[in-house]
Amino acid sequence: MDHLIIGFQNVLTPSTLFWVTVGVTLGYVLGALPGLGKATGVAVAIPMTFYLHPVAAIALLIGIAKGSAAGSAVSAILLNTPGEPSSAPTALDGYPLARQGKAQKALKMGLFASVIGDFLSTLVLIALAAPLASYALLIGPVELCAILLFSLTFIGGLAGRSMLKGLIAAAFGVFFATVGIETETFIPRLTFGLLELDDGISLVPMAIGMLAVAEMVIQGGNAQTLDREAAQIDDSARPEDRRVTLAEWRRCLPVIGRGTLIGAVVGILPGLGASVGSFLSYGATQRASKTPEKFGTGMIEGVAAAESADNAVVPSSFVPLFALGIPGSVIAAILIAALVLHGLTPGPMMFLEQPQMIADLYAAMLCASVILLIVGYVGQRVFAQIIRVPIRLIIPVVLFLCCIGAYMTTNSLFSIYLMLGFALLGFFARKLEFSFVTFLIGFVIGPNLELTFRQSLQILDHDPARLVGHPIALLFGLLTIATVVWISHSNNRLSARRAAAQSAGTDQTAEHSHI
Amino acid sequence: MKRADLVSGVVLTVFSIVMLIAVIPAQIEPAPDGYVSPRLVPNLAMIVIAGLSLLLVLKNLRTSVVEPRAREAVFSRPEMIALLKVAVVFGVSVGLFGLGAPLAAGIALIAGTLFLLGERRPLILVLMPAGLLLTVWLLFYKVLGTPIV
Repeated sequence: MDHLIIGFQNVLTPSTLFWVTVGVTLGYVLGALPGLGKATGVAVAIPMTFYLHPVAAIALLIGIAKGSAAGSAVSAILLNTPGEPSSAPTALDGYPLARQGKAQKALKMGLFASVIGDFLSTLVLIALAAPLASYALLIGPVELCAILLFSLTFIGGLAGRSMLKGLIAAAFGVFFATVGIETETFIPRLTFGLLELDDGISLVPMAIGMLAVAEMVIQGGNAQTLDREAAQIDDSARPEDRRVTLAEWRRCLPVIGRGTLIGAVVGILPGLGASVGSFLSYGATQRASKTPEKFGTGMIEGVAAAESADNAVVPSSFVPLFALGIPGSVIAAILIAALVLHGLTPGPMMFLEQPQMIADLYAAMLCASVILLIVGYVGQRVFAQIIRVPIRLIIPVVLFLCCIGAYMTTNSLFSIYLMLGFALLGFFARKLEFSFVTFLIGFVIGPNLELTFRQSLQILDHDPARLVGHPIALLFGLLTIATVVWISHSNNRLSARRAAAQSAGTDQTAEHSHI
Repeated sequence: MKRADLVSGVVLTVFSIVMLIAVIPAQIEPAPDGYVSPRLVPNLAMIVIAGLSLLLVLKNLRTSVVEPRAREAVFSRPEMIALLKVAVVFGVSVGLFGLGAPLAAGIALIAGTLFLLGERRPLILVLMPAGLLLTVWLLFYKVLGTPIV
């Protein structure tokens, strides 16, 4: 608690608050633009934080993540085009509300639900991460290897419609993580004689290429459709259509509470992601409603349910990252690079080694929630106008920032080449539905997976029978197999249902998970 | 998607076999005695990819017998054209940077993308690159005090 109080003192300075505000504002704008999500924003911004104080730098990035999670509701409500897949259920009721001229009401409820979900979930993170980390310290390399393998399988299985493709992407991520000089024998691996690859492939240009540049190419291809949709927005002049009434607050508060709980639980489980949280919350609210048939026609509860869960996922997804060093989402994977860069290695040891830095981080996250409310409320009208900017004017700005971000990682053209190479890979991965998210998470946990695997081989003396002496590892091994079987069956059932719906001409199957 | 899955499964299977047989042995030396081989994890990853890709092929072969292959295009024409345009712009920009003209590279990247994506207003084509480059210069060279090029 003392650390947290000092943390607030460190964060509540004009300089840090300025950078949090910059981050939240940038994030809100990026989130409002279809296709530009929090992961893209954070990946592009990491190199910009090289010259900032660690607390300000991480606060800026967290501000981007939080702002963008909330901002993605803007395009979902106004354009029926979610800024991120997790805002897709927001569009189900938000867009009909906008068509009725109640866009301001929907946007306000989306913002309030986002801020409440985000703030409460940050409290969950603060309450859970440290106790969980103390247990994690008791875990040895064999157990950690089994947990990492389980997490990767779980994430790979749930990302996208095909488990096979998800697992292939995860394996590719681990494979690319092996590039560079091997730490035990100092033998170069797959460097092709390039000195630039001796330290391995840098995460930042890779993430910028796969997330931002690839997305911009796809947006460039769909520019005309996006611009046409943006031109069709309408707004009502009636005051009650532009604000959230007391009766609506009474109906929505329990919905927000449930959404926050669902989002926080989903966030803690690695791999499920914000989309699962928002769809689950929307579905639960619809089932609990006395008028479920009205959902999809402009129910404000639908917006509250989806947005509260969507935003609650972000902070709680840091629980496995902070406690175990396992990134449960793509944003957590990318944040690892930033945290390491600024002297904080995620994992159980950081609670012992740098408790003050963690407290600063928590304080920054809580401040970012409050700033999100202020920035979102004050700037909502302006942000709503941003989506009217033609996408052809946005793409060059993003590509330029991508280049600067990638170049600054090593101050050489090689980073740009890496970025472009992975942009191409990201483009094809998206089009062929191989999860680039799983790839990135595989890449991030790859070194740790390899290290613990090698240590496990030595501890077990290359004898699998000795696993009997490691019940936790055995349990996670069995869980990995069970996960593969369960997801495989689940995907087969979904495919059969989708095929049946397609043959009946009514494909109503809900969108599958996107992390 | 089934046809695309089938093709990508075949490509990945071939790729992983080539990696296992030729690239990994050529690019990673064997370990000295007493060490775990540095080839171990890359090999394991490729074996997993080969196995899963083969499964992807078999799964799509089996379903394509039961139901006809989906013919919808995975890559739309506008997206491929956008990819080509972005590639051209980056090619020119990287070339200019390599020739020692970072400012020209920045202008080419911003103005080139604007032009190729359909922007024809001269004011935008001039002001946007100028504004962006000036902002970056102010931020890094003046505010943060750290030249980036």
